[in-house]
Amino acid sequence: MSAITDLQRIGIKLFTEEFSVDQQDFIGVFHRWIQEQSVQDHLLVDVADYSHVRNGPGILLVSHEANINSDETDGRPGLQYLRKQPLSGSFGERLGSVLHTAIVAAQRLEGEPELSGRLRFSRDEFLFIANDRLLAPNTDATFEALNAAVSESLRQHCSVVAIATSRCADDKGLLRIGVRGDGILA
Amino acid sequence: MTWKEELLEQIPEDIAREIDIFSTQIELRKQGKVDEKVFAETRLRRGAYGQRYDNGQRHDGIQTRTLQYPSGELTKGPDTLWDAPGMQRIKIPFGGLSPAQMDVLADLAEEYSDAILHVTTRQDIQLHFVHIDDTPDLMRRLAAVGITTREAGGNVVRNVTACPIAGVCRDETFDVTPYARACAHFMLGHPDAQNFGRKVKIAFSGCREHACALVAMHDLGAIGVVQNNNGKTKRGFAVYVGGGLGAVPYQAKLFDSFVPEEELLPIVQAVGRVFSRLGERRNRARARIKFLVEKLGMEEFKRLVMEEREILPADEKWTTYIPEAVAFREQPLKPPQTLDDAYSPPEGFTEWRNTNVYRQRQEGYAVATVTLPLGDITATQLRKLSDIARNYIGSNVRTTVEQNIVLRWVNEADLPGLYAELAELGLGQSGAGTIVDITACPGTDTCKLGIASSRGLAAVLSQRLAARGMELDEAVRGLKIKISGCFNSCGQHHLCDIGFYGNSRTVSGRKVPHFQAMLGGKWQENAGAYGLAIGSVPSRNIPEVVDRIADRYVRDREKGEAFLDFTRRIGKRELRAVIEDLMQVPTYEEDASYYSDWGDPREFTLGDLGTGECAGEAISVAEFGMSDAERLVFEAQLFLEDDKVREADQTAFQAMLEAAKSLVKTEFWDVPDNPDSIVNEFQTRFYDTDIFQKSYGANRFALYLLLRHKDADREFSPEKAHKLIEEAQLFIEATHACHDHLTQERVSKAAAAMDDLPI
Repeated sequence: MSAITDLQRIGIKLFTEEFSVDQQDFIGVFHRWIQEQSVQDHLLVDVADYSHVRNGPGILLVSHEANINSDETDGRPGLQYLRKQPLSGSFGERLGSVLHTAIVAAQRLEGEPELSGRLRFSRDEFLFIANDRLLAPNTDATFEALNAAVSESLRQHCSVVAIATSRCADDKGLLRIGVRGDGILA
Repeated sequence: MTWKEELLEQIPEDIAREIDIFSTQIELRKQGKVDEKVFAETRLRRGAYGQRYDNGQRHDGIQTRTLQYPSGELTKGPDTLWDAPGMQRIKIPFGGLSPAQMDVLADLAEEYSDAILHVTTRQDIQLHFVHIDDTPDLMRRLAAVGITTREAGGNVVRNVTACPIAGVCRDETFDVTPYARACAHFMLGHPDAQNFGRKVKIAFSGCREHACALVAMHDLGAIGVVQNNNGKTKRGFAVYVGGGLGAVPYQAKLFDSFVPEEELLPIVQAVGRVFSRLGERRNRARARIKFLVEKLGMEEFKRLVMEEREILPADEKWTTYIPEAVAFREQPLKPPQTLDDAYSPPEGFTEWRNTNVYRQRQEGYAVATVTLPLGDITATQLRKLSDIARNYIGSNVRTTVEQNIVLRWVNEADLPGLYAELAELGLGQSGAGTIVDITACPGTDTCKLGIASSRGLAAVLSQRLAARGMELDEAVRGLKIKISGCFNSCGQHHLCDIGFYGNSRTVSGRKVPHFQAMLGGKWQENAGAYGLAIGSVPSRNIPEVVDRIADRYVRDREKGEAFLDFTRRIGKRELRAVIEDLMQVPTYEEDASYYSDWGDPREFTLGDLGTGECAGEAISVAEFGMSDAERLVFEAQLFLEDDKVREADQTAFQAMLEAAKSLVKTEFWDVPDNPDSIVNEFQTRFYDTDIFQKSYGANRFALYLLLRHKDADREFSPEKAHKLIEEAQLFIEATHACHDHLTQERVSKAAAAMDDLPI
């Protein structure tokens, strides 16, 4: 019997506070990341340009372990990290690992010469995404269980105490939980 | 809980079993208990393809690097690593989709792919960057809503396509939808369709005039026709066989002008049997039905098929569907209603209505086209589109061969509201079927065979043309542009006003992405004519090519003159002159942008090629010879245009000889300048040794030369000349590639020799 905390396909979206760059600017950056294999413990494979679709994945950096993209879903730009391959450890450790990789990638993006000064991520909120409809269907019960697990994990593994969470309204979409708190990503 | 357990009750037992077997084969392959070639064909037959870089090698702009996947050397086919992302093709017979199916497709794109669904030029849907381990669950979830990926790839009957407005078209003879569906179901897994040498593509159309189903470019095409016998109307099909695009396009030939409806499926089955028995097997490049029809001639081919038909054991499936087919009517969700003239249109509605709305045969209803940029739609958009479908039209959604989606049976009064909702989703783009609605195959983005960035070019052209929008002359707005990343025609570049296919040229040791510009294709009449190349242009200059040709058309066309007629009247020589200067490539130092492709900052090269001095002279002579060959093949086109068939044919052959000679000269400077010597030397040095094959997989292109040379007593015909010109163009491309390959080898050897010097 699987528990909600067995979830492996964890996603994180970090939102931008400042986004005055062109999606195309990410293409060169991500190609350079592949040259330098800049994301630790990830095999970076390719770049895909989806900037032509509205509110889509933007520019996608494909790795074996995860998809990383300059996301514009719901019209809010950000950096999304969606885990594809399993991680070891408890749910909290896995969430911590995913969050850590996303934050490091965001910080790196902020410092890239093509984007510097025109891209800044919020340190006060992120989106948790359960990319697995079998294990985490978008229901009230799953939300309750996952919300508790996420909050607990953030307290235990990320020393985050004061947060507010909310379920994103989209009945047919993936279960997504908005997480807010002053400086939680700092 | 697993998807298998979760969906147990929702999947028919036999289909569930098939997927379980596939899942087992995956496990056995991981254990090394299934041969990689066998597994490759197994997964292909389930639509699970490889994707670019799946051999574990990728040039990152600096060097070719090995992608070190965790599964190491485990493969899912020859040179295809297990962990490398792949493409999943999903068959959508006649493009028909229900809202429930759209929801599941969206879910799968999010969970197993990259949240993007790509509509193909054959009404399929493709997901990219999919891991092979995820495919069984993906297939189960599709099966639960009535979709199979079985035979979406491999040497079988592929997706059966049909006109997306069948049943609501104002010009059709009758609705071909139920016949396309019956054909798809009948041939799926049919024992007589499991032993082909190559794939078979089937299309249905309700009329001859329009292009919606592109019957002429299919292995087997059926156009609905009726016969009147003693006041009784009898349904049937004009059946065409032996069409196909690929490297050398063939127009399908008429097999029978009237096959009665009850004979449709047995004839398709008999064609399959004859193809299985007599089709080429060893040489994949000549294994499509078109080559068999060409070899036998239609008369003999038909005789064999009819002979086979006579001995087929009767099958009730041939006819049981017919009463249902005749009675078949789609059910609109809402009653008909015309659009009140007093309506207040939302912004952009009028333009959208002009290009994206088709008035149905049924009063009060319309078909609305949802234009998808580059054939792409996000998972979120598709999910919301399914809600729109539920609210406005029910299940009447179809994909199109122009990579769009159509919503049928829209109550006309609902059009403004529908448009507003589509626009809200970013799906309200106008210009369906116009010059901004460009078709492109995946090209170098994800395809293993792509040479140049067809999608990158399409995006740039589309943006530029859309920006000019209403400035564009009405005549230009109606033109069609189609782009393929290589000569294999997945972007259908032969079938449009202005087509392009990707190739490359080497300039001072560096590779430059190019596109061959094609003119003279015909989209109407079910792909009535195929275009021919007028010249290879650096990718960076293609937007200017489009501008110049369009401007010339606007300036010089006669009143009401169609683009195809204009190109025929003006002639290719003059149109080539319009773009001739754009074929030049500036040096790298002058403009490095020419040396990378659209949307990809990496330098378009396989390495930092230097040119050794000793090879230099021979190389430049070879390049000169190949350039001469290109000139000759263009002249052959001009002859053909002037109905000088013999001259066209002979000049195309001369072009091939010139290209072959230029390659031979790199090894044998004094090759005698006569066809026998050139062909003999070429065959001995490049074909028999497999050197040509190694550099481009190109022995099939070499065969074009060898076969034409043998065909000394050839009878000349326009069709043969047209084909030979296509073949000559491909042969020249192959000599370019072979020459590049040899140059690189020489440079590497020279570099290695330098390393060995005791300094």
